[in-house]
Amino acid sequence: MKYQVVIAGIGGQGAVFLVKVLSIAAGLKDQKCLGTENHGMSQRGGSVSCYVKVGDFYSPAIDEGQADLLIALEGNEGLRNIQYLKKDGGTIIVNADEKFPNIEYKTVKIDAFAKATNGEIPIQALNVYMLGVALAKDPNFPFNLGDIEEAIKVMNAKMADKNIAVLHKAIEDSRSV
Amino acid sequence: MKQILMGNEAIALGLVHANVDMVSGYPGTPSSEILGNFEKFSNKFDCETYAQWATNEKVGFEVAYAGAIAGKRTCTTLKQVGLNVASDALMSASYIGHLGAMLLVSADDPGFHSSQTEQDSRSFAKFAKIPVFDPATPQEAYDMVKIALDLSQEFEIPVMLRPVMRVSHAREICEVDDEVNFKPNKGEFKRDIGRWAAVPPRGRFAQGLEQLKRVDTIAQYNWENFIEPRVKELNGSQTLCLTSGTGDGYVKEAVEELGLEADILKLDMPYPLPKEKLEKLFDDYKTVIVFEETYPCIEEQLSSPKLHGKLTNDVHKIDEFSKDKVIRAFNNVGLTDKQSPYQNKKFEDELPVRPPNLCPGCPHRDVYYSIMKVFKKKKSIYPSDIGCYTLALNQGAIDTVLCMGASVAMASGFSIADKSKTVIASIGDSTFTHSGVAPLINAVYQKHKFILVIMDNSVTAMTGRQKTPERANPGVIDLKHIVEGCGAVCMEHIYTPNIDESVTFMKEVKKKFEDMDGPLVVIMREFCVLDKERAPTMLPGIYAEVDPNKCVACDICTTQYKCPPMHYNEDHKIEIDPFLCIGCDACIDDLCPTDAFIERKVK
Repeated sequence: MKYQVVIAGIGGQGAVFLVKVLSIAAGLKDQKCLGTENHGMSQRGGSVSCYVKVGDFYSPAIDEGQADLLIALEGNEGLRNIQYLKKDGGTIIVNADEKFPNIEYKTVKIDAFAKATNGEIPIQALNVYMLGVALAKDPNFPFNLGDIEEAIKVMNAKMADKNIAVLHKAIEDSRSV
Repeated sequence: MKQILMGNEAIALGLVHANVDMVSGYPGTPSSEILGNFEKFSNKFDCETYAQWATNEKVGFEVAYAGAIAGKRTCTTLKQVGLNVASDALMSASYIGHLGAMLLVSADDPGFHSSQTEQDSRSFAKFAKIPVFDPATPQEAYDMVKIALDLSQEFEIPVMLRPVMRVSHAREICEVDDEVNFKPNKGEFKRDIGRWAAVPPRGRFAQGLEQLKRVDTIAQYNWENFIEPRVKELNGSQTLCLTSGTGDGYVKEAVEELGLEADILKLDMPYPLPKEKLEKLFDDYKTVIVFEETYPCIEEQLSSPKLHGKLTNDVHKIDEFSKDKVIRAFNNVGLTDKQSPYQNKKFEDELPVRPPNLCPGCPHRDVYYSIMKVFKKKKSIYPSDIGCYTLALNQGAIDTVLCMGASVAMASGFSIADKSKTVIASIGDSTFTHSGVAPLINAVYQKHKFILVIMDNSVTAMTGRQKTPERANPGVIDLKHIVEGCGAVCMEHIYTPNIDESVTFMKEVKKKFEDMDGPLVVIMREFCVLDKERAPTMLPGIYAEVDPNKCVACDICTTQYKCPPMHYNEDHKIEIDPFLCIGCDACIDDLCPTDAFIERKVK
């Protein structure tokens, strides 16, 4: 099995957290996994793109046209990284409103900013929310709900209940997308 | 046992497992997490170790090096540009050597993610004549730490580990030792003046001869231990790819995915190489291509008409590696004419750029804003330095960036060369103690007239908020005492999120400067908004919003102030992103000429 994920967002949105959760999930299933994340300059509100490669890989970076999934924590950052998606079969899960343009990839859009503004989810958990949407909407996603829940617990036991609640809320919301 | 580790965590754990008891470094992306994690693992496993941030990389290196002379197993961590600072010590240490072991971890940054140069530390190791290991993944980094330290102990010289950002900040499931059998190494200085204080010409000449011999011996060691076992596994195709570090992963994946016919020989130790033995190997091949990041370190050590790489313009010379660059190199050499599957259409329309910026509520923003209000652009020169505050480039508040500590001496130079302008330089507190003190003494004794603003937020913020010497020793090390001790006149101001107050203070600075005939140093006592200890007590929690009836879209806030939450909405009025506003209150009242920023009522 080979599965490649690009996580795009803005510094501070918690893209690195998702890299950690996915690599822990892979570790728990005893699957090979290579991830890479941004630190330093790119964390100061600038564009951030992280990679996770599950399966037999040797290099941590993802080339253009190779990603199975793009999780975009913000619309423009999704578009900025769109070239990483596989030409056939790549899926983008994007936090965006109805103005997000039509693109040639399978697109799942959900307005997580609006949900945070309405108080439905805490803004700090937007990353986990989008992960939940990916889990619900990408049939090839290599982990199930239990795997991710377990990884979230390993990652930070204190915050696990809150994060898992957001994950469930995302899966629930995804039904109507 | 298996463990998910980031590259820098793997290196730190490797250090503990390799029985290292002294680590001394200076933070710099992508190397910064090694020392902190070493400290964490030391505490976790109850190992009595020394792990401290030095004031700069040269100091860090020398502390660790002396430890190794005295028989300890030590390590210094830094980033590639930090190695420039430590290089004076390194060049001599390579002649003299030590009795214990010393690992020099120099993390490179191909692609300029967080660095001002893309230099290759492996080439520096070659320059200094010390062996270097180039890991491709966190697992290899962990393994190589142990191998490198043993090699260092055996040959009595420092050995380098060169992880790139894609190793330091990669995450992988690593196989690591189950147990920690840490035993402190005995530190005992053995007097040997002829060695430790070898003076030119005779002493150093003799050590130079030993150094040359040692390099040859290690090249043979490299062949026997790391290269020869892999040569036996080569398949006998007509093309040989020599790889190093991350280059190996990209080549492996590309060769596998595209079904290319090629043998891959990874060189774990890219210097020193057994030149004759490797070149002999080329007899069996039609073509040899070297894939390495970022300089032609391996390529420069070998010669053959079959050899292709950066020097023959077949492999890229700048920027990070990718599989696309591997296939392009194959095409350039004429081995294939494959269309690269690693290219894809970018989004067609122009997207708003999102450069890194000072955090919302960052005091630096207000200080630069007030500097520019009082010292007008046309009549000023703004030299600056390396740190978060470099991001004030966005505000147009910085004219020059060179290297750590350069702002001070460059202010001297500008004040001599262009007397028609006021030179107002800025430097962070950590950078000032790193390399700003010597040039300040220089400026005082030569009476260079400029203003130096030390932006003191009491952390090394950009690299992850490591403690500064002043913060770690409150009341003992004090910037004002240092500045006055250098003989400079010093003004101090405690920052509050009130722009008018900062501007008023800058006006006092301007007035004071008129009577000066040497440098005037200004210490701005600030805080870092990411500093969990101090920020909550400094931020008032008064959040802003915009009164759209008052906003006249004058652009002042978006060009001179540049706080990330501020942006234009569809009605072309400024709007504040409620998720980004940190509640510093600074923009309310003083910033907007039409008073459009007002307090947000409900949080």
